[in-house]
Amino acid sequence: MQPTARHLPAIRLSASALTTLVAALLIGAPVIAALLTGLFGGGGEAWSHIVSTQLFGYTFTTLGVLLLTTVFILLLAVPAAWFVSLFDFPGRGIFEWALILPLAAPGYVLAYAWADIMEVGGPLQSVLRDVTGLSARDYWFPNLYSAPGLSFVMACALFPYVYLTARAAFSNLSLCTIEAARSLGASPARIFINVVLPSARPAIFAGLALALMETAADYGAASYLGVQTLSVGIFRAWHSFSEPAVAARLAFLLILIAFGLQLIERRSRGRGSVQQTATRWRTPKRRKLSRQAGLMVAAGCFAILLMAFILPVTRLVWVSVETGIGQKAILRPFLNSLVLAAAGSALAFVLAVTVVVGARQNRFSQLIGRIAAGAGYAAPGIVLALGALFILSWTGFSVAGPAALVFLVWIYASRFTAAGAEPLSAAFSRAPASLGNAARSLGANRFQRLVRVDLPVAMSGAAAASIILFVEMLKELPATLMLRPFNWDTLAVQAHAYASDERLAAATLPSLLITLAGLGPVILLSVQLTKAGESRAAG
Amino acid sequence: MSNFIQSLTCFAAASLIAACSPSSPDAPASPESGESAETAAVEPGSNGTLRIYSARHYDSDRLMYEAFENQTGIRVLYREAGANQLLETMKAEGANSPADLIIASDAGALWRFEDAGLTQALPEGEFESRIPARLLDDKRQWVGLARRVRGVAYDPERISPDQVDEWQDLADPSLEGEICVRSSTNIYNLSLMGEMIERWGADEAQAWAEGVVANMARAPQGGDTDQIEAVAAGLCGVAITNHYYWVRMTESRSDSTRDAALSTQLTFPTFGEGTSHHINITGAALSATSKQQALAVQFIEFLLTPDGQARLTTETKEIPVIDEAERPAGLERIPQVGESDMRLSAFGEHQAEAQRIFDEAGWN
Repeated sequence: MQPTARHLPAIRLSASALTTLVAALLIGAPVIAALLTGLFGGGGEAWSHIVSTQLFGYTFTTLGVLLLTTVFILLLAVPAAWFVSLFDFPGRGIFEWALILPLAAPGYVLAYAWADIMEVGGPLQSVLRDVTGLSARDYWFPNLYSAPGLSFVMACALFPYVYLTARAAFSNLSLCTIEAARSLGASPARIFINVVLPSARPAIFAGLALALMETAADYGAASYLGVQTLSVGIFRAWHSFSEPAVAARLAFLLILIAFGLQLIERRSRGRGSVQQTATRWRTPKRRKLSRQAGLMVAAGCFAILLMAFILPVTRLVWVSVETGIGQKAILRPFLNSLVLAAAGSALAFVLAVTVVVGARQNRFSQLIGRIAAGAGYAAPGIVLALGALFILSWTGFSVAGPAALVFLVWIYASRFTAAGAEPLSAAFSRAPASLGNAARSLGANRFQRLVRVDLPVAMSGAAAASIILFVEMLKELPATLMLRPFNWDTLAVQAHAYASDERLAAATLPSLLITLAGLGPVILLSVQLTKAGESRAAG
Repeated sequence: MSNFIQSLTCFAAASLIAACSPSSPDAPASPESGESAETAAVEPGSNGTLRIYSARHYDSDRLMYEAFENQTGIRVLYREAGANQLLETMKAEGANSPADLIIASDAGALWRFEDAGLTQALPEGEFESRIPARLLDDKRQWVGLARRVRGVAYDPERISPDQVDEWQDLADPSLEGEICVRSSTNIYNLSLMGEMIERWGADEAQAWAEGVVANMARAPQGGDTDQIEAVAAGLCGVAITNHYYWVRMTESRSDSTRDAALSTQLTFPTFGEGTSHHINITGAALSATSKQQALAVQFIEFLLTPDGQARLTTETKEIPVIDEAERPAGLERIPQVGESDMRLSAFGEHQAEAQRIFDEAGWN
């Protein structure tokens, strides 16, 4: 916040806010178009039908899934991050980066794999019957085609977000604080609850907010598992009732939920900001666990990895090999996926930088940037695609030509800018204000400060942002389904088409390739973050 | 790290350029295949372009388009998505819609396009003489290209054939706790119910739905394949399924999948004495905005040759509609079906009522 902005609002706002405004409009236009259609479109009868019969169910299911996913994610991510950052145990060096790997596998791919593993004719239950001699009617078995099943799958796919933010927070803990607590005789458990968690809470909530918004917007996994969330309801309103306006209204609810999540996250940040004195951050030296405890922790970490990554991926590889791979024309969808994700993340990156930098300039930019990015991220891809189609029809374009690709890249950016803005903004906030002030006193203008002071400081965050953007876009499904041009498939589209056509075997190859394509960037991210943590620890 | 960012940016820029050049979206169906380009009788695209919206997702369809391109010189551009999604896309595109031909499975799905005013009457052509009259819609809004039959796969050790030889049997209390079936929102169930409403009237159809719900082994979930798997695993005795899911399982390269299907029996119930089976279609419709009527008919006629039929059905395991066509491997395991006398448009006309009946019966 600059005092001058208050004194000369007209001039300052027009200078700095204009860029943000343009970026925000670019991000927000598809949402706005969809919401306008929702407000002014028809759909009276279908709307009252849905309000009276489905709305409560959709909302309740969505909130229930979010709640359960939160529980699962916290259980998976926080203990893992805690042990990996502060203790030494067998395999710690591997788990430290390997626990991020599930980020490469989209939720819907995990849903295909886990549904196949858990189904009544699948390997788990077959073995169970063989071992016990029971018949399929004699026992209860957890049903993946349910809200808890969906929550489990989404938690497996998205817990790395919280693992990452929590790990960063734990490694940034002030050694002094913990030492002080220890010297005052606090037990490790008390230190964790009274000292560590409060200071890590904002980071955990930040990761959780991202993961939950992704969960709320998920279409692929929820529809495959037949769970009637708002996202699925939006599809249904549009596709079965033929009421895009109703779909847009449901989307409004979803966006409200996402804003609620963001609000909670902001508030927690405000209240929980236990300030660390900046320069003396040091990762506390990792304590070596006893042999027994170490093995138990290692087993726990391995179990998480097994559940969220190794088992489902192995199952897909198994099905793929068993049924014969190599007959599919997969190269072009693979390239298409890479091209789209790369172009989309480039645009989103620029938008994210604009929004984050704008937010540091003045409140107006902060507000519109945040609202636009938040709304885009909260809206499921299908709603943005809907908005884009309306814009297309207003402007008289057709999606037949390469224009569709441009639109698609735009929708990707609109959808995911927030995912890139989060790590960027976190990284920028690590740059002390004094640094910027010093640069200003040396006569650097805003752009010079951005390029020469802020961006280098925020480089690790920028790399993380671009990688997250790329991986998220690789996995994008609903908007791609809607907007892709002729003869143009991505891996996600193929995987979805085959899987929903009950041809899991055919879906395995594209599913695995998405995961594979995401794996490289995720490992890069992982290594980079781990190194950053270590250099900080050494420094 | 700045190197990393730099290379990422370069990659992004290069990709953008790539997006606009070699694999441009207006490329023909399968440009990689050099061989077919050499043997091509006519250069694809020299005789116009046909834009197809298809609800099918088969690798063999690409080869089918390519074969047509090479035979006729007509370039094929395609977009594949779920039928409902294609329909809503076309609505949103409005008068700008580039679609010429719509290909979708299930007459109920084709009817939705017609009902939304997205189709136009097919011009007269030689193709009509090759197929039974029932496969051409009364108002010529769509034409059937392949057959699909909805039936049941049952466990021969628990269920006797006469317990499932009519659809009515499935509502009989003797099958309590035996039936596995997918959700009622699925078009296959809606079309099946549509035929029941047409044949029996809404009340009897409703009673049937309630009887089946009372007999379900579990709440509807998954697809048809999952129901067959559930019968094989012993969870239920009867699965409602389209024939080709069962046939594909019997042709699977996975031993366990093949064994699962072969441990069940596939049969096609009738709607009562002297009636036929529930025979549905995969078909094509001409988009209302299309000006390529002649090309579209040419494509339909191509699909109604023995070669076209083989390309259409070999991978899907649907049943060809012309007698000269070779039947896909695996179809020898299913019961013979004749032609039904049921109007195909009835499936769509009763769709809304079918959904209402399912909802009221508690069939989710």
